[in-house]
Amino acid sequence: MEKSITVVQKTVVLEPFIKLVKLLVRIFYDNYTPESDNQQKTAKNVRGTAVIVLDALARRQWVREEDLAKELKRNAKELRKLIRHFEEQKFVMRYHRKETAKRAKMYSYAVGGPIDGRAEDNVKFHTHSYCCLDYAQIYDIVRYKLHRLKKKFKDELEDRNTVQEYGCPNCKRKYNALDALRLISMEDDSFHCENCNGELVMECNKLTSEEVVDGGDNARRRQREKVKVWLQDLEVELKPLTELINRVKDLPFPAFEPFPAWEVRAAKAARENGDLNPNDPSRSLGGYGSTPMPFLGETKVEVNLGEGKEDVKSKGGDSSLKVLPPWMIKQGMNLTEEQRGEMRQEANVDGLSDDKKSVMESGDDNKDLKDEYLKAYYAAILEQQKLAAKLNQQESAGESTTTDIELAATSSDRQVGMKSKREEEEEEDVEWEEQASVTANGNYKVDLNVEAEEAEEKEEEDDDDIDWEEG
Amino acid sequence: MFFHIVLERNMQLHPRFFGRNLRENLVSKLMKDVEGTCSGRHGFVVAITGIESIGKGLIRDGTGFVTFPVKYQCVVFRPFKGEILEAVVTLVNKMGFFAEAGPVQIFVSKHLIPDDMEFQAGDMPNYTTSDGSVKIQKECEVRLKIIGTRVDATEIFCVGTIKDDFLGVINDPAAA
Repeated sequence: MEKSITVVQKTVVLEPFIKLVKLLVRIFYDNYTPESDNQQKTAKNVRGTAVIVLDALARRQWVREEDLAKELKRNAKELRKLIRHFEEQKFVMRYHRKETAKRAKMYSYAVGGPIDGRAEDNVKFHTHSYCCLDYAQIYDIVRYKLHRLKKKFKDELEDRNTVQEYGCPNCKRKYNALDALRLISMEDDSFHCENCNGELVMECNKLTSEEVVDGGDNARRRQREKVKVWLQDLEVELKPLTELINRVKDLPFPAFEPFPAWEVRAAKAARENGDLNPNDPSRSLGGYGSTPMPFLGETKVEVNLGEGKEDVKSKGGDSSLKVLPPWMIKQGMNLTEEQRGEMRQEANVDGLSDDKKSVMESGDDNKDLKDEYLKAYYAAILEQQKLAAKLNQQESAGESTTTDIELAATSSDRQVGMKSKREEEEEEDVEWEEQASVTANGNYKVDLNVEAEEAEEKEEEDDDDIDWEEG
Repeated sequence: MFFHIVLERNMQLHPRFFGRNLRENLVSKLMKDVEGTCSGRHGFVVAITGIESIGKGLIRDGTGFVTFPVKYQCVVFRPFKGEILEAVVTLVNKMGFFAEAGPVQIFVSKHLIPDDMEFQAGDMPNYTTSDGSVKIQKECEVRLKIIGTRVDATEIFCVGTIKDDFLGVINDPAAA
């Protein structure tokens, strides 16, 4: 039962989400092949990889891409390309890290894979990538995809509100109907490019452009029928997906933490479960440590945690009662049993003083006594506080007087010393002096003037340097 | 859409207009200056309906011109996306047709003309339905919906459609 506590923390992916991913990839990515140079050659192998990969990812959490490749018996490079594509599609979170064998070991340990095999050849730093499905985002992406799909078809169907676009076949410049006034030429009744004076052609929407090149209205009508059928087909075929989305809508999304956090946690869990899990067939079969289903599927949330909680609660309660500050006691005077217990503890805590002891002895059930005791206690505290306050006041008063005296002394010093100081250390001193006077008297300008005048006089007396005075 | 709003403008008046009729001169100059102009913000100024206030004039140094801040009420016309307008066709070509609704120019491209209307070239180019019952040509009136506007500082241009219910020709001069 101990291990259940650790398992609790693991993110649980609900079945509908996995279903969603599986369905999604079958619908949209069944034929997807990552672009590659020798596509014909690899196309055969690659087809359907997307389905396999996402299915595999749905069974795991964070997984090292190389390991995934090995498990799926795929070319790591191609797999990486595919995952990169899915990253761009925002289906997958990725994490790249340069790591040594040691770090790699940590990961292996975290997911319960064999450790020693890898350690030998990984002496240098290698960049490893880890990936993980991002269910919340997948959900959003799917909805967005569907929305865009439908919108595109609908726009196509009733191209009412689309502003016609025109393109120049020569210089590839694009115009739209809003530029029409500028584009029209006097010679003939077609639009001409502003740039090269080439005749502009209407740009058809991408969906229809394959067939309607110059087809006229009949072709367009046919096209529209086609689009209509497409739209219907689309809705029929995507029905399972939309239903699934509606189901998923209200469920809590499985949220994975970023890889480092996950790794640390998983490692911890692995350590704690160490004696239980390594024999797990799924793990040993997996070889290179992918995260097997137990992380995802089984919820082991139950009972033990609850007990633990209770224990903690009562303990915590005790401790908190012990440190309960005296001003809480007022509330404690209410009648419940617990609070009485509280009181006792409180008394225990403060039990050192002799008065309290006596109260304690008599006081278990006798509230009046307690009351009185408390009153006395508070009165004492109050008195103490007052005393302290008085003392403080006196002290502060003393301080203030002393500071006053000091201030006076300094100020007098300054006044007395002004001249002499200036004679000694000229510029800086004077500046300081000015500032002081300014801050002291709110009246800025006047003060400066006075200051300046004074300074002038002094300067004249001094006959030393008039320069700084001007500045 | 039309709006009745108050605008303000600084009018410069030549000294020769100073006299008993200063105010009238000022107003007539204002009308001459403002009516028919277009600003991207307010649209076309159709007509001045009244003067709110004329501020104190300021004599410009050197010239003797006097600047009066004038507040005036006016009717402005500004086309909006989605607005339905009635317009007169001014030009028909194979790309579509141009129409005018007062000061506003509107272009209706070919694919926003109902699919059953075909372009007929000739000395009077037009769009005609296959049975010839409806014909869009120069000078005829159409009701159209604005689907896009381009608003510059001094110019407004619109793109419209007649591919919707109750849009299209509302009066055909050839048939009449």
